[in-house]
Amino acid sequence: MSGYHDIGGHAAGLIPKTELPFQHWEKQSEAIRNLLGDGARRVISLDEIRLGFESFGIEKYQAYSFYRRRLEAMIDILEKKGLITRHEFEQELLGIQARWPRVVPQD
Amino acid sequence: MTGIAQPLPFSVGDHVTVLSLGKQGHIRTPDYVLEKSGVVIQFCGYFLNPEDLSVGKTSGPMVQLYRVQFLMSHLWHNTQHRPNDLLCIEIYGHWLALTKETAA
Repeated sequence: MSGYHDIGGHAAGLIPKTELPFQHWEKQSEAIRNLLGDGARRVISLDEIRLGFESFGIEKYQAYSFYRRRLEAMIDILEKKGLITRHEFEQELLGIQARWPRVVPQD
Repeated sequence: MTGIAQPLPFSVGDHVTVLSLGKQGHIRTPDYVLEKSGVVIQFCGYFLNPEDLSVGKTSGPMVQLYRVQFLMSHLWHNTQHRPNDLLCIEIYGHWLALTKETAA
């Protein structure tokens, strides 16, 4: 049986054609993901992140946006590898938000 | 780098069928091409296997990647497609087998 993400060709109604803005936090998290996955570091590959969001449950998968899925899976893996804890991430986020109030995840 | 010096199992123009390997975990072969037959249109090169990368294995071996062309009407049985609409998709070599000749 195929996974909940493997839905190519399924009936899904009309495709929304509205271009969504590429938000600042999305660019930042993608930049971090690229650095973590580059040939010099190889801390997390994009395929590890894909496995993460393909297995973290359909509810989360459907609730999150494209980049939020990647970010959540990245945090899960960093935590699993013992590099950061989600608590540390959230504390850091609060610190950044205090310094720069406009940087708030919006989705 | 196993296999790099060996001849490729598939050539451009070969009719191939996508294997339903039933693998768990992260795979890059979508459900809609499983057990479907298409034609190899390009050899894309050797890449690290995403199935290995997804579990943190970054040391190889490298696997072959092919671009395969399917008739959309063969993948999805509805009337939305024109008869010659095609789908071209990259599939790793270990998911492919030469299509067996069948009595037409």
